[in-house]
Amino acid sequence: MSSSFLLYLLRRALWTVPTLLLVAVLVFVLMRLIPGDPAQLILGDAGTAEQLADLRAQFGLDKPILVQFGLWLSHMASGDFGHSLSSGEAVLPLLLERFQVSAAIVLVAVGAATLLAVPAGLFAAWKQNSLTDTVIVAGATFFLSIPSFWLGLLLLLFVGLKLGWVPVVGYVTFSQDWRAAASYLVLPVITLTLIEMGVLTRMARSSAIETLRLEYVTHARAKGLSELRVLLRHVLPNAFAPTWTLIGLVLGNLLGGIAVLETVFTLPGLGRLLVDAIFARDYPVVQGCLLFTAGIYVLVNLVVDLFYPLFDPRVATS
Amino acid sequence: METRRKNAARPLARLLTATFTLAACLALGAPALHAQPAQDTLRIRLNADIRSTDPGINRDANTDAVVSHIVEGLVAFREDTTVGPLLAQSVTTSPDGLTYTFALRPGLRFHNGAPLTADDVVFSWHRYMTPANNWRCLSEFDGRGQAKVLKVEAKDPLTVVYTLDRPSALFLETLARPDCGGAGVYHRSSVGPDGKWREPVGTGPFKLAEWKRGQYIDLVRNPDYAALPGKRDGNTGNKTAEVARVRFVVIPDVAASKAALLSGGVDLIFDVEDNDLPEYRRHPELVMQSMPTMSLNGLLFQTRDPLLKDVRIRRALALTLDVPEMVDALTEGTAQPNRSVIPRASPFYGRAQSGMPGRDIAAARKLLAEAGYRGQTIKILATKRYNSLFDMAVLTQAMASEAGLKVDVEVLDWATMLDRYNRGDYQAMAFTYSARLDASLSYEMIIGPKDRQPRKVWDTPEAIRLLGNSMNTTDRAQRQAMFDSLDARLLEDVPAVFFYSEMRTSAARDYVKGYKGWPMGQPRAWGVSLARR
Repeated sequence: MSSSFLLYLLRRALWTVPTLLLVAVLVFVLMRLIPGDPAQLILGDAGTAEQLADLRAQFGLDKPILVQFGLWLSHMASGDFGHSLSSGEAVLPLLLERFQVSAAIVLVAVGAATLLAVPAGLFAAWKQNSLTDTVIVAGATFFLSIPSFWLGLLLLLFVGLKLGWVPVVGYVTFSQDWRAAASYLVLPVITLTLIEMGVLTRMARSSAIETLRLEYVTHARAKGLSELRVLLRHVLPNAFAPTWTLIGLVLGNLLGGIAVLETVFTLPGLGRLLVDAIFARDYPVVQGCLLFTAGIYVLVNLVVDLFYPLFDPRVATS
Repeated sequence: METRRKNAARPLARLLTATFTLAACLALGAPALHAQPAQDTLRIRLNADIRSTDPGINRDANTDAVVSHIVEGLVAFREDTTVGPLLAQSVTTSPDGLTYTFALRPGLRFHNGAPLTADDVVFSWHRYMTPANNWRCLSEFDGRGQAKVLKVEAKDPLTVVYTLDRPSALFLETLARPDCGGAGVYHRSSVGPDGKWREPVGTGPFKLAEWKRGQYIDLVRNPDYAALPGKRDGNTGNKTAEVARVRFVVIPDVAASKAALLSGGVDLIFDVEDNDLPEYRRHPELVMQSMPTMSLNGLLFQTRDPLLKDVRIRRALALTLDVPEMVDALTEGTAQPNRSVIPRASPFYGRAQSGMPGRDIAAARKLLAEAGYRGQTIKILATKRYNSLFDMAVLTQAMASEAGLKVDVEVLDWATMLDRYNRGDYQAMAFTYSARLDASLSYEMIIGPKDRQPRKVWDTPEAIRLLGNSMNTTDRAQRQAMFDSLDARLLEDVPAVFFYSEMRTSAARDYVKGYKGWPMGQPRAWGVSLARR
């Protein structure tokens, strides 16, 4: 690993600090701007003013906003994400536990979507303006247009309920029972795969069309290489670079939680944690979730950038 | 160059392999949700996770429901919403109404095998009364509420004496309230040496086995449970556990919970949404059951609003509403209309409460003309967290428009709406009150001085006086007269229009035997058995 690469890595890592700081400020301010009070939600419609004041004091919500922010930030800096106002649980272990669930689904789904979408996009580009191309593009657009919750519910009702092939609620780990785990994960993974496949197919296709028009591809064909060889060896590596960037963005987005799917399939993931926390005005959990998500986003994109030279050597040279 | 391009295709395959490997590792380490339940496990859907296992502290309705299976109090509500003994064998009140003597049932044991004694009652009580613990009902007993509990003494191992500073008609009722955790008695090992709550070691028919946050709560049968004789009766009576295990499964999404029930993923949904009822009814394998609860849905008016402070406008709006028609539409015909604050299931619900003023558009127009109404907008706040509240606001908007009233509906999330309710910051609001099991408590939720408690809806001196008297009088006939008077005034002053008490409809698989709802609306797993084919 060259020193310039290490310097680049260090520079990128340092840039994450102001980014995360900005996110922290925004998250904190926005949460306080939303009407609603966690103490009030806990007390419900029968809480008295005294009870409300007591609970607010217990949560530290009676302190000035700047003091609250300072305390939260200093705790965060020491790795203490605080405790949930609703359940009293430590936030960081909670985030990590829930992240595992979301990440397992997202990584498999995005991996599968990539495996399917890149060849499909490449093939559609190669067959541009043919019936095959139209079918692939129409399919991609179709899945791109469907809301994930609707597709999830359809699969749930048809595959889970009507056919009875898989259970409709639940989750177990692979270490407990790999068959059951697979049966619980298959529907959310299929849903997410289909949705993400649409985006990736379109990107792979348009990139491949651009690449297919370049002179070196014509040259390769002129050399007498087979079409398969041209596509795999000369078109795919160049066409994949923009798709790779998109994969990074998609992963960054999805790893922050797939709240809708997690709700539909009753999965204890990060997205559902965040949504529940927002409704409960559970400030430490919301703030922790969003900061964690921002960190993941930054990290994923950093990794994507680092891998970029593998697909496009010009980046490494520059 | 050719070699570099050849090599460049490989990272894609490597990356994908790495991705799947990472996903597999994460899945291996991720937390388990629903291990396959045993045949004798009753699975009940919860729409949200519980907040804690600490009775009456950091709680909500789901928390109360689950905890009531584990921890029991001295007294509890019966099916008819009167109060009966639970851990107590008898309750004796002194003639001056200041001393309550509870004789404990002999032979009761905690889940850890320790015998229940009066000292445990005193220990639990002191923890409840410690302000730092934020017991939901602390203010009811520390002097800020009805009566102050001056002391609680263990006279002997099976006798506890509570001494109050003044008589209270609501002392036992408040002890029994589910939102107060039923003032549940727990073993001191429930609390750590640092005073922090660990887990409930109670005397209930079930023990806590596992709480997987956000996923499920598992309870197992308490084999040593000493059940009361007779039948199941509210939160008291015979609470024998018939099933070996109960799993409360957290499924927030309504559609997913429906699919879970139909596929056998859960056995019971105790709170089916009204607008889903027609679909559930089409499934012969499901057993449906509706039961009126003590909650109350209605339209609140801000009587200090520049427009709505004129009682004629409020009366006019009320006159535009066809309440029976609305209730029929809102509840799929399951609930009966009720304009009183006192729910139909209450023993205090009588003739005076059953009055149902009819719809009269002409009279409404006349009142509006007298009040000089010039088409000003009345904004109703509603939430979609409870669909019925949003529908209620929309129906009100439509009906009021027939008399020329201009009504807008603003939709808020529940937290924001609760905030606005507590600040009294609204013109009108479609609101739901949780169950109050005594008529005074029902009225207490709306009556009070707005200057000190902005959430209160009705603050006329006469209403406040009558409410205060009803709380300090133990004579039933006198109390009934006071409630009758309050109901008549409610229809005159119209600080709110109440529509109905929610019907709680449950849907269970046909092999679930013995499940029955009750006015509190909470699920009860005791007395329920499974006859799976």
